[in-house]
Amino acid sequence: MDLNYTPEDVAFRKQVRTWLEQNLPKEVRNLEERRAWHRKLYDAGYLGMGWPKEYGGGGARPMEQAIVADEMAKANAPAPTNSLGLGIVGPTIVVHGTDAQKTRYLRKILAAEELWCQLYSEPNAGSDLAALKTSAVDAGDHFVVNGQKIWTSGGAIADWGLLLARTDTKVAKHKGISCFLMNMRQSGVDVRPLKQITGSSEFCEVFMTNARVEKSDQMGKLGEGWAIAQTTLGYERGGRALARITNYSSQFTRLVEAAKRLRRHGRPLIEDPVVRQKLGRIWSEIEVERYQALRTLTFLERGEHPGAAGSLTKLSYSEFEKRFMELALEILGPYGQLTQGAPEDFKLQIDTAVGDNGSWAYAYLWSRAGTIYAGSSEIQKNVIGERILGLPKETRADRVGGKA
Amino acid sequence: MNFSFSDDQVLLKNSVRSALDEQCKPAHVRAMFDDTRGYGEALWSEMAKLGWLGLPFPEEHGGAGLGLVELGLVLEEMGRAAYPGPFFATVVLGGLGILLGGDAAQKDKWLSAISAGKARATAALLEEHLDWDPASTSATAEKSGTGWTLSGLKRFVPWAHVADVVLVPARSPEGLSLFLVDPKSAGVTLSPMVGIDLTNRWSEMRLDKVAISADAILGQPGSAGALLDSLLRRAAVMSSAEMLGAARRCLDMSVEYVKVREQFGQPVGSFQAIRHRCAEMLLEAENSHAAVYYAAWALTAGAEDAAVAASICKAYVSEAARKVCGDAIQVHGGIGFTWEYDLHLYMKRAKALEPLFGDVQFHRELIVRHVTSAR
Repeated sequence: MDLNYTPEDVAFRKQVRTWLEQNLPKEVRNLEERRAWHRKLYDAGYLGMGWPKEYGGGGARPMEQAIVADEMAKANAPAPTNSLGLGIVGPTIVVHGTDAQKTRYLRKILAAEELWCQLYSEPNAGSDLAALKTSAVDAGDHFVVNGQKIWTSGGAIADWGLLLARTDTKVAKHKGISCFLMNMRQSGVDVRPLKQITGSSEFCEVFMTNARVEKSDQMGKLGEGWAIAQTTLGYERGGRALARITNYSSQFTRLVEAAKRLRRHGRPLIEDPVVRQKLGRIWSEIEVERYQALRTLTFLERGEHPGAAGSLTKLSYSEFEKRFMELALEILGPYGQLTQGAPEDFKLQIDTAVGDNGSWAYAYLWSRAGTIYAGSSEIQKNVIGERILGLPKETRADRVGGKA
Repeated sequence: MNFSFSDDQVLLKNSVRSALDEQCKPAHVRAMFDDTRGYGEALWSEMAKLGWLGLPFPEEHGGAGLGLVELGLVLEEMGRAAYPGPFFATVVLGGLGILLGGDAAQKDKWLSAISAGKARATAALLEEHLDWDPASTSATAEKSGTGWTLSGLKRFVPWAHVADVVLVPARSPEGLSLFLVDPKSAGVTLSPMVGIDLTNRWSEMRLDKVAISADAILGQPGSAGALLDSLLRRAAVMSSAEMLGAARRCLDMSVEYVKVREQFGQPVGSFQAIRHRCAEMLLEAENSHAAVYYAAWALTAGAEDAAVAASICKAYVSEAARKVCGDAIQVHGGIGFTWEYDLHLYMKRAKALEPLFGDVQFHRELIVRHVTSAR
């Protein structure tokens, strides 16, 4: 056990920091500027770092990826675009795609020439994703897709989507699903922004009416969609592990500064023992998340996949984030609720997924999403119970009769 | 950067586990409830032979020269087994205190004897007001000839009734000092304090003009503040390792039990109400693991954040262990509330350690002092 960074990692961090100091854009005002920033990062070798070299990636170690993301968080750098392309779709094509699909799609993902979204959830298939109803029907030389998707992150700007659709209604629900690559730029695909409680629209609804998918864009065999989806859900490679903590840490610093300025009964909040206890608790939790990030990176560096342990990580930080933001708004009082007009000392500068300037209010509301998306906390606890602790599966209505 | 145990560390953990599985079964733990000394000499000698008693001490004093990560591994296993005996008191409180503050002669005398299983030690860190801040010490040390006379009241002194030496903080004219006191000295009165955790023994220790010789002081007179802070941090982290072990045992027992206990015609572990609780217990245990071994490494390596990591560890694990052990009783149902079922051995072990070496609030205040001054 040695929790010091190696001299190589320290040197690499310094190199990234220097590069960011020299290349960081002042601001990113629109998608084209974000795309340009994305390409600059890619050309410098700081994107697609973990992808295999033969497909245009960097073949970098997980720690190097984590360091780049961490330095970007420290520099408050704008996010690149195409996060689903880089994080989910690309790696899925690498594992399951045909040679033709790899040649056609991978480099364009890295260079953000084509932006991707993921077409998984449906209005009636959330936690129970395998209940999805969108259909893909074989029409000879292509498939015809009908149905509705929801919670499609980045749908409004996506050129392509990784689609799960039902191709067989006669078999058990997990076995009738197939995976496709679908062109979003066609008349049969209607994308509508979904306005969330934040007032912003990071997500979309996607309506497919006789949309066309080429035969060559089927991924894997028919009926393998569920198995492919299981692997894509496991592609969280810990790349954001350190950056996440750096964001928490800078938000915490802002919060302490605010607690020094705000007063109750004539005294600064920071002198109130109750406030101090609550801050002490949150800082402990941030640090424990950091220790756990180092543990995750140790696994990844050894080439081990965290597997179901990823559910513990996700459960831990997403539930923590809610507690953190609840305390932030408790300390900030009505300042915490402001979306406009907040005095400088009580503002929070964060890069939101859609490029707007964030606020404490936005961060608070957004923290409610973390325990729902990518497998709700309840689903994570099921996974932990069944796959790590080996507890018996529950009796489920859709399993009665032993079909699934 | 490597947050995993080395092969040697895994070997050590496994050997401690199998030795305690063999020699510290629940029947042994229970047998010691009514024992006058409260622990088994045979196991103590075995621990000396296995090198556990000298684990963190230099080889020249018969030790193994290992760090707090290794000692933490041993203590986690002891918490897991609810080992009854003065290991923590001797090796952590007494031994590390002497290692941190002793001169060559003191170390040679005590650390060699401890490593060989021939001496037991402890420290009297708490007085009647229960303030863990060493600066709050009110016991006094008056100059008397070349030595001192100590007076004061100490409480919750672990295993003092079997100790050969007790580290006692007291105020001398020079300031806070740390003395080596033989508990059999004239003027020392020990009275037992019995808690819910019968695997640990405490004493109240009354000192009434106890004569202390000139060589029975650790470090320079008036210089014990920093030494006691260091010792307290180590005790906080090492007691957290014990709490972690106790929590792991409670979790393991719970998982095994809910797989086989049936109600409504199915194992109760298939119900989400139970399964989700077990998942939360695992999360708390895993986070505690990270907190314990990060802090143990940081203290050993002298990392910049070692002090705050120790406080984070104790604050986090105290609450986590309370939750895990409490939830274990809940998922067991009625049987978990019986004396004959073993769950309460581990639950009480963790509960007894929770307020010791600084409780949650004590350490959270230290954490906030750190983050508000460093920023």
